[in-house]
Amino acid sequence: MTTLPQPGHADGQGAFRAPFLSRMHEWIATADHKKLGVMYVTTGLIFFLIGGLEATMMRWQLAVPGNTILSPEDFNRLFTMHGTTMVFLVGMPILLGVANYFVPLQIGARDLAFPRLNAFGFWLFLFGGLLLYFSYFGAQGLYGMGSAPDVGWFAYAPLTERTYSRGHSTDYWILGLLVSSFGSIATGINLITTILTMRCRGMTLMKMPLLVWLMLIDAILIMIAMPPLAAAQVMLLFDRLMGAHFFDPQGGGSAVLWQNLFWFFGHPEVYILILPAFAYVSEIIPVFCRKVIFGYPLMVAATVSIGFISLGVWVHHMFALGLSPMVNTIFMGSTFLIAIPTGIKMFNWVGTMFGGKIRFDTPMLFSTGFLAMFLIGGLTGVMLATVPFDWQVSDSYFVVGHFHYVLFGGLVFSIFAAIYYWFPKVTGKMLSEKLGKCQFWLLFIGFNLTFGPMHVSGMLGMPRRIYTYHADRGWELWNMLSSIGVLIQIAGVLFFAWNVFRSLRSGKDAGADPWDAWTLEWSTTSPPPEYNFEEEPVVHSRRPLWDLKHPEDPDWKYE
Amino acid sequence: MEHDAKQPGTEHGIHLPAPTSSPFVCAFGVTLIFTGIVTIWSVSIIGFIVALAGAIRWWREGLPDNIHQLVPFQEDRVTIEPRPGAVAHLMIPGGTHRARIPVEIHPYGAGAIGGLVGGIAMAVIALIYGLIAEGSPWYTVNILAATVLPSLGQEDPAQLAQWHTWGFILGIIIHVSMSIMIGLLYGVVLPMIAKGRILFGAFFVPLLWSGLAWGSLRVVNPVLNDHVDWTWFIISQIVFGAICGFIVTRSERIGTMQNWSTLERLGIESPGVPSIGGDEE
Repeated sequence: MTTLPQPGHADGQGAFRAPFLSRMHEWIATADHKKLGVMYVTTGLIFFLIGGLEATMMRWQLAVPGNTILSPEDFNRLFTMHGTTMVFLVGMPILLGVANYFVPLQIGARDLAFPRLNAFGFWLFLFGGLLLYFSYFGAQGLYGMGSAPDVGWFAYAPLTERTYSRGHSTDYWILGLLVSSFGSIATGINLITTILTMRCRGMTLMKMPLLVWLMLIDAILIMIAMPPLAAAQVMLLFDRLMGAHFFDPQGGGSAVLWQNLFWFFGHPEVYILILPAFAYVSEIIPVFCRKVIFGYPLMVAATVSIGFISLGVWVHHMFALGLSPMVNTIFMGSTFLIAIPTGIKMFNWVGTMFGGKIRFDTPMLFSTGFLAMFLIGGLTGVMLATVPFDWQVSDSYFVVGHFHYVLFGGLVFSIFAAIYYWFPKVTGKMLSEKLGKCQFWLLFIGFNLTFGPMHVSGMLGMPRRIYTYHADRGWELWNMLSSIGVLIQIAGVLFFAWNVFRSLRSGKDAGADPWDAWTLEWSTTSPPPEYNFEEEPVVHSRRPLWDLKHPEDPDWKYE
Repeated sequence: MEHDAKQPGTEHGIHLPAPTSSPFVCAFGVTLIFTGIVTIWSVSIIGFIVALAGAIRWWREGLPDNIHQLVPFQEDRVTIEPRPGAVAHLMIPGGTHRARIPVEIHPYGAGAIGGLVGGIAMAVIALIYGLIAEGSPWYTVNILAATVLPSLGQEDPAQLAQWHTWGFILGIIIHVSMSIMIGLLYGVVLPMIAKGRILFGAFFVPLLWSGLAWGSLRVVNPVLNDHVDWTWFIISQIVFGAICGFIVTRSERIGTMQNWSTLERLGIESPGVPSIGGDEE
């Protein structure tokens, strides 16, 4: 084994402040899972601001009928880039970043199994995202045609074929996501290997924290769902650049094949995004209710069931396609089926809160908001899983409202819960509770004002992806409300940005365990040292820190 | 939790993978390879060279042994102090302080009976309304059946006031099954309400349900919506909720089986096995 001196440490006693370039090099060359986790989350948040700006421009355009702020072409690009950004460049990096940071800490490991592959995965993700956004300049500048992709985040064929999409904008969409998805697959491999082989002594599978369980299933889903997308994208690239006809009906190909391949990735992707949200609230709710999670074995079973069933529901995105009634009925049934394990989780979270000594600090507020918003998104999901109802509202704003309740009300609320919960561990500083609560209420009100009315405008027949509408449709009020809601959400995000900035500069010291929590990450310093634990932990229960704090009443006697 | 012996390293620190820019270089090269497809082919060539250089360097760092760095131990260390007595224990019958709450519930039978009796009272109110409003007891029965028989929903009030065999059969099935189901839900939920159970059962739930029905029926079935008198609807719901809630809350609570042994749960009685409920024989 070759050993190098550690940069930034003059004498082994402490770090001096290295020059800017050295610090940049330290971050670029790092293989530390914690630094990579921070880089993932920070990049995800920057893309969140970009995706949010795109959404704001769309809402500005739709606030009143007949608006001409944006051209139809620009609007197409905006909704494509907004959807692609939020799914691939916000949701994915943040969930992978949190997993990167906390999975090794929670299982008592020093790093992920393949630290350098981890770094490779992050850089592929980042360069893939930059390549996608380079399309705004590249596609326009070099060929004088097109700009950013404008084919929707699902890029339906044959719209993506060369006949309908000239220039290279769609190629940028394909290549950017392809590079990015290689990074996600690399991180998926890393997470599975780490969780299965690097747990500390005593941590059997049924003693793992729920975050670790959920990220294991999540990584397995990434491994199953991402390759079909990559394959479909390569096939599309062949269509566009080499004259193949995989998805070109006029050349003997099948546009439906693209839909099948895309949604075989696309629906598990929804669960890839939402399982980490489940993971965060499953960690936060017990700590802030001062109770163990209700029904741990059932929560694990529900997670595995969701992972399994989510691979067999993709056709519910294609009910309006004209498939046979038998196919529609089967996939309607499988979609209903997934509501059962999801419902079990909802009941168990509520069961954990029931009778608990609830502390409504900001992480808990966001977790409670998650429960309410995700419930609404889940119920409208069950409505959409019903074929006749889906036919009525397919491709309408009802669907837009539904999936924003799932992905914004579900995922984004839980991400904020996670940030408020783990920020003290990552930085050693507490975020302001006062600013956090202001942010929560602004976001909660703004979110509901934005996406609640979309259900109504959708029921009234407003199709999604239109860039404007006539004043005689009865949609004016609902669109205006949605646009006002965005302004309130922006105020909430500004509160968050100010809170982070202020806390990093002059926040209260967090200490190792500010929430009196129970999992292993709270047994080390804030922020943790590079090696995580000086000595390898040995655990006896799912709440190792509880056992240490309360040796007279340890959990292992009851598990 | 306890801590095991120190991990591979020295007395002064831990060996961890050394930082390296190879993954960065390799990823950048791979991205350039793809970028060349949509720009100029020479970009792909450069990308290939960069990716290869990064990969070769990466392999050299990993073979034959990974390059590590010695990270010195941090001076700050966390000590977790035991806090005996810092947590107040629940006082639960049976001598344990660990349980899933509620530890006692109303029997499911009470919920089913409450639902049935409440359903009968609700039916009486509905029949009275039918007699007053349309001069026929079958009017409300047919409206209920129209939720699953669209042809009934298309009929005018005079036709709805007449006898329909299928309307009667379906109306009875819907009403009885819904009453039992809601009664069971009352049986499960009411023990979990800390205060004001009657208020919850008699007013909160009926008003919530009426609100949901009022909001959704006009969208789901606007024709049927025109036939419903919402004042009478709310009154009948409140009567149901009050009676069902009263019957459930008056029933004797029974303990859950959470602290019973498997033998007890299986109902096995033999010498040496504690009797049902946990009393030692």
